[in-house]
Amino acid sequence: MSIGSLTRRLVFGSHPRRTLVRVLVLATLSFIIFKWVLIPIRAEGISMEPTYQSGSLHLANRLAYRYRSPARGDIVAIKLAGPHVLYVKRIIGLPGEHLSIERGQVYINGAPLTEAYVKNRRGWDKPDVALTGREYFVIGDNRGMRAADHDFGRVDVSRILGKVVF
Amino acid sequence: MTRRFAVPAAVLAVLIGAGVFAWSTRETSDEREIRSRLDTLRNEVNTSTKDGIGVALHAAQIGSYFTEDSVVELGEGAAPIKGRETLMGMVARLQPRTAAFRLDLDDVSIEMVPGDAADVLLTASFTRRNISTGEESLDAREYALVMTKADNTWRIARITAIDTLR
Repeated sequence: MSIGSLTRRLVFGSHPRRTLVRVLVLATLSFIIFKWVLIPIRAEGISMEPTYQSGSLHLANRLAYRYRSPARGDIVAIKLAGPHVLYVKRIIGLPGEHLSIERGQVYINGAPLTEAYVKNRRGWDKPDVALTGREYFVIGDNRGMRAADHDFGRVDVSRILGKVVF
Repeated sequence: MTRRFAVPAAVLAVLIGAGVFAWSTRETSDEREIRSRLDTLRNEVNTSTKDGIGVALHAAQIGSYFTEDSVVELGEGAAPIKGRETLMGMVARLQPRTAAFRLDLDDVSIEMVPGDAADVLLTASFTRRNISTGEESLDAREYALVMTKADNTWRIARITAIDTLR
């Protein structure tokens, strides 16, 4: 067997047509999965530390909330004008709840919220917020930074693109 | 389906898919022109200059993308910037600081409205490099733009910052 035919066989296999069909099916599946199901995300910034380091790669499942609502503690991807630049935050407040932050402690309907994922905590304060039936309260895990440098607050359910699963 | 037709059928399916995708994402010439204007504005903002004449020319160049009576609303707590002249003055004053920034525009969606105008929604990302440590930090925000066409040129009449998290 010549080197040329050996190379062709290694690249295309013994049945080039089948290989072509497999490649097309694989490419189509990858396109569908990574466009409409699992969105690759690269974390930028320190607001989700220590859970996610800046520069780390993750996947958001767009179908996670098809049959159930987002839950407290879920880390979600939130869209801005579109799906290419996203906020990655944790849900701490659910629709209809009252939320406040006093000296870094989060209160839900007046009761303190236990947050094992928060390692550093500054004395942030936020007056009582009443969430509507379509709003969640989202925040990053890094509470050791200045509140003014940290994007957090109420978000409409329509902006939640999916759950960060990895 | 016999094997004989499997490959042509797969190729045909891919071609039809590509055709449908191209049809669904087609743009009018005005939309292309607006996109191009925003791209050149982004490039202009990312061009840095420090000498006096260069700064003035740079500010004038950026000003040419805005209408005479343009308004920039940066959100709660910031007074709106009114008029092209005011905007150019601010660009000139901020130039040494903006030289450390890089602007990117993502998820640009354009909706044409009657009367040579367009509503544009986009995410603007500002990447800031710390000169001493070399570390980069990203700040992204959603903006709604109103653009108008006069003398065959699209210009920005209004920029409004949108609070994704409230």
